[in-house]
Amino acid sequence: MHRTESRTERSLGNRDWLSVAFLLGAVLLAYYLLPLVSLVLAQPPATVVERLLSPTVLAAIRTSLAGALASTAIATGFGVPLAYWLARTDGRLTTFVTAVVVLPLVLPPIVSGMVLLTLVGPNTLVGDLAAGAGLPLTRSLVGVVLAQTFVASPFVVITGRAAIEGVDHGLEHASRSLGKSRLTTVRRVTLPLAWPGILAGVTLTFTRSLGEFGATIMLAYYPRTMPVEIWVSFTTMGLDAAFPVAVVLVGVAVATLVALNALGRGPMG
Amino acid sequence: MLELTGLARSFDGFSFGPLDLQVDDAVLAVLGPSGSGKTTLLSLVAGLTSPDTGSVSLDGRSLVGRPLEDRDVGLVFQDGALFPHMTARENVAYAADDDERVAELAAILEIADVLDRRPGALSGGERRRVALARTLAADPDALLLDEPLSSLDVPVRRRLRDELADLFADLAVPIVYVTHDQRAATALGDRVAVLRDGTVEQVGTPEDVLRRPATPFVARFTGSENVFQATVVEPDGGRDGERDSDSVTLRVGDLTLDVAADAPRGATVTACLRPSRLRVTGTEPTLADGGTNVVSGTVTRWTNEGDDYRLVVAVDDADLALVATIRPDRFEARSVAVGDDLSLSVPADHVHLIDDEAL
Repeated sequence: MHRTESRTERSLGNRDWLSVAFLLGAVLLAYYLLPLVSLVLAQPPATVVERLLSPTVLAAIRTSLAGALASTAIATGFGVPLAYWLARTDGRLTTFVTAVVVLPLVLPPIVSGMVLLTLVGPNTLVGDLAAGAGLPLTRSLVGVVLAQTFVASPFVVITGRAAIEGVDHGLEHASRSLGKSRLTTVRRVTLPLAWPGILAGVTLTFTRSLGEFGATIMLAYYPRTMPVEIWVSFTTMGLDAAFPVAVVLVGVAVATLVALNALGRGPMG
Repeated sequence: MLELTGLARSFDGFSFGPLDLQVDDAVLAVLGPSGSGKTTLLSLVAGLTSPDTGSVSLDGRSLVGRPLEDRDVGLVFQDGALFPHMTARENVAYAADDDERVAELAAILEIADVLDRRPGALSGGERRRVALARTLAADPDALLLDEPLSSLDVPVRRRLRDELADLFADLAVPIVYVTHDQRAATALGDRVAVLRDGTVEQVGTPEDVLRRPATPFVARFTGSENVFQATVVEPDGGRDGERDSDSVTLRVGDLTLDVAADAPRGATVTACLRPSRLRVTGTEPTLADGGTNVVSGTVTRWTNEGDDYRLVVAVDDADLALVATIRPDRFEARSVAVGDDLSLSVPADHVHLIDDEAL
């Protein structure tokens, strides 16, 4: 009987801690959600739609989406191989490379912008060469992409690396001992198994690109992305003018999350 | 023909080899405790690890330095290493040229009705079968198996072991079967190599290894639980005429034993004797077997091992405990208990001697 009692006590204790954990977490959740809700509620839908259809806002949406898509594609194309290399290589070099990958995450974005300007800005070798070839690296969509890629790509590398490390190395050995090349092995075994984690990294990179402000404004004040447009509206016309664009940005980000989440569920079942 | 020559590799705290082994188109069972280098051996042949020195050649072509996908060496992993995102069929088809081959292997390995399941929904035995089918689908020139029967339930393991024996008989490639289970090794191996601390202690037929262990380690590891040191002494003068020339007399403590073996007089030898070869002759010392080789002692422990009973007997005339197994009907007829005195008859033909000088 004693044992039964103590077990009951223990399970009560567990349930109490679970409730407390949820209540503590709920405070944080409320802090996330309330400002968003108040932002949406504060804006009459008609005003949002009106601002949404203004040419400057439409242009900002286009620039943001095009930039974020391009930078996410670049980050994924170069980042997933780097993630694979990091996951499957041992030694000091990987520690160093990891530190380099994390660098853009720890730099304040505006400093990242300054750093990039010293490489590709006006009156730099690279910047002048590219501009001479008709491809200006600042004040252009290319500038937007450069800024976003620098700041947002570490997410896909870091998350992808963890996902690939989670795939049993023995499965790759098995595939190769069956006569399949490394590339086939990666394509048919490693990537399908690491896919959910890699997709999470892609999503993070995309949403981070979409919201990128500090480095972008240094490299490309024009064409304006949504965050730059919000900042310009805020400084020139006040908070009320900036709100509708912010609502749009939040909407696009949430829609992206939902879409990528659905995509991630699809192939894996 | 798979040939390993002077193969060596050292790791942090473990050195493997140098090791030489030849495997023709038959089964070499590699038997050894965990940490003896069995998996390292497979890794070196399959290409998961590269050797510091030595060579691996298969049908005359050298494998060292080749990536594992170019070796045509099939490796069946301990846990199967099935791709969890593919069904059993997709796993086998991954390595097979066409669907016909998949169907053929599914029939041989009796997995046809589980082909559409993912590995997570397969039993342990089914997973091993699928893994084997997948490896065979690649038509390897050599087959390596890493403890394919470990952690299976006993009935499943016995059945799969018998099926493996049939399957191996039909394969005309070198097969290396790694296990720590002596029964699997001697049942499946045409030859058995006993591995210890990364080197080979003995290679031979199952009969050689079981009956004529080369070292005390091999004897103990293959089930000769009675391993003890003895001195070869003068044969008993009065019985010389009846004695074979290759028979010697051993002294262990105050005990003398006649055994059919050849060893120089005065030598120190290690005697090896399987528990199943000892006969319990009575609860009283008797003069069975003409009065020789009868050892009296006291039962200090007995356990029911299922198929037989295992007795540990402290010998009266020597600092020695002998282990004997006896059939259940004999055990029950005798009602053996701890503390009982009984006699064991040591069969002269089944004591194997290892000359300690030669070690």
